[in-house]
Amino acid sequence: MPWHLIARNLLAHPVRTLLTASSLVIAVFLICTLRSLVVGLTAGVEGAASNRLVVQSAVSLFVDLPLAYQGKVAQVPGVRQTCKFQWFGGYYQDPSNFFAQFGVDADRFYESYPEVEVLEGDPAAFLATRAGCLIGRDLTRRYGWKVGDRVPIKPTIFQRADGGAWEFEVVGIYRSRTSNVDDATLFFQHDYLREALEQGAASGPPGVGVYMVTLAPGADLVAVSREIDVLFENGPQRVQTTTEAEFQRQFVSMLGGVPTLLGSIGGGVLFAILLAVLNTMLMAGRERTRDLGIIKALGFGDGVAFALLMLESLLLCGVGGAIGVGLSLLSAPAFRQGLSQMVPGYAVTDETAALGLGLSLLLGVIAGAAPAWRAGRLRVIQALRPEA
Amino acid sequence: MGEPLIRLRGVVRAYTRGGETIKALAGFDLDLEEGGFYALMGPSGSGKTTLLNLLGGLDKADAGQVVVDGQDLTAMGNADLARWRADHVGFVFQGFNLLPVLTAVQNVELPLLLTPLPRSKRREHALYALKLVGLEDRAHHRPRELSGGQEQRVAIARALATDPKLILADEPTGDLDRATADQVLELLVRLNREFNKTIIMVTHDPLAAARARTVVHLDKGLLGRIEQQDAAAPAAEA
Repeated sequence: MPWHLIARNLLAHPVRTLLTASSLVIAVFLICTLRSLVVGLTAGVEGAASNRLVVQSAVSLFVDLPLAYQGKVAQVPGVRQTCKFQWFGGYYQDPSNFFAQFGVDADRFYESYPEVEVLEGDPAAFLATRAGCLIGRDLTRRYGWKVGDRVPIKPTIFQRADGGAWEFEVVGIYRSRTSNVDDATLFFQHDYLREALEQGAASGPPGVGVYMVTLAPGADLVAVSREIDVLFENGPQRVQTTTEAEFQRQFVSMLGGVPTLLGSIGGGVLFAILLAVLNTMLMAGRERTRDLGIIKALGFGDGVAFALLMLESLLLCGVGGAIGVGLSLLSAPAFRQGLSQMVPGYAVTDETAALGLGLSLLLGVIAGAAPAWRAGRLRVIQALRPEA
Repeated sequence: MGEPLIRLRGVVRAYTRGGETIKALAGFDLDLEEGGFYALMGPSGSGKTTLLNLLGGLDKADAGQVVVDGQDLTAMGNADLARWRADHVGFVFQGFNLLPVLTAVQNVELPLLLTPLPRSKRREHALYALKLVGLEDRAHHRPRELSGGQEQRVAIARALATDPKLILADEPTGDLDRATADQVLELLVRLNREFNKTIIMVTHDPLAAARARTVVHLDKGLLGRIEQQDAAAPAAEA
């Protein structure tokens, strides 16, 4: 097999090869990036725990539930643990510095979320410090916060009577082992918020956004959900209990057709590039008619002629795809930082990299198939005719 | 007298062009001896190139038998014919037909890729073949950096690389000026005399044909007269 011919043929038209490969690099980079966005947007759904339920108002997620519900939910057979989750909705210094903050039960949080791992600080300090907070490691990168810092968060919902910002003390920095909890959230004690509201130091809705319910081992998820819903069927607030995955899916559906749109853009880009590569390979096949005739005349078989064109196409697409994947991996930290508010779960996963490379090679096979097939069937005397 | 190197019996090859069937070879018997230098002559359309293609296993006869070195080419499939070509025949074409992306030595080395020779030996053989044609100093030049005569000599070196018994040349001097053509013809004569290569050359050029030992005339797909030339004529004056 004249392997050296494959690369040499590609290099025979350096500008054309460079342009085609560059279009592939851009296409694969775009596809990987778009898919990473979709993965980031749906990370919560993919990483949702199977043993957790979310109890929210049946009216809307924006309607709070009474605090008294927690004890009743905890009584339902099959429920092992409940944990408050209250959306705070503040920002750091400027509204553009927006990230998620939740008031939670500090004494139950670690048990409810075993996937949260405290990297720095004392885990117990979260419970011991009333104004303490746990922050995701992405926030430390973004704002340079460290354990012991006092972080002022300006409220949008829970206004303080003095008109100032809420101050939280960073007692721990966490990372999540699963994608349902991102690393750009601030968790603080719900009791800190509740006390301020009760004492009149702040104003805002007194209830809780959702209760996260951890099931006991072997509990029937559907039966427990139904029982919780039935428990509050007659009010004062009807509830809707869903799995964590379903709950996360609500947020994805709020984005409307964005994931579909991103997927469509990726598909369109891929199709356009397929045409470009196909055109290049058809041109290469036509130009190489005489060369292929020579090779066959010298005794190389039809399979070699087929392989020369097919491997050329695969090499072109493979190299372009590999560079595109490489660029998407290299740029991932920058994208993750830039998109941390919108898509905190942005990551170029191994599956995305494999998909990018796989699609490039598939493009290579499709684009190379027709010229390679023609090369395999080419008759020497036709190829070597003076007008060929 | 032993078996001829090439034996053709009742060979027919027809083409359909524009709905009309044209018999390029219309029933053909011919024996060609090993070590001969044959010139195939005749007007355009007489079947010279068709005959050469059949002898080289590049095309297949519609009827009859083409036996070369004891092997019946008409009974072989495409893959067997390709292998046979690699082992038994070297081609020299009018348009040189070198691969433009390869250097001279890489072009000569190409047919050697089909042999079990290791890389170093392949290179050694290719350089030797280039030396035979007087182009060892052009080994690493691309075809576009060579003159027409040099390109044809590289093509001859490529035809020699696998040391085949049979060299088929289709108008090898057709694209060359007289002086360069004479150099190429001289090389073919030398290969025939010194290395006992059987050479079959299609040509329109009587001066080129004069260098062959035997001239076979074809006309309208039929065998014409066969002329023996005891001693090949010397090169014409440039």
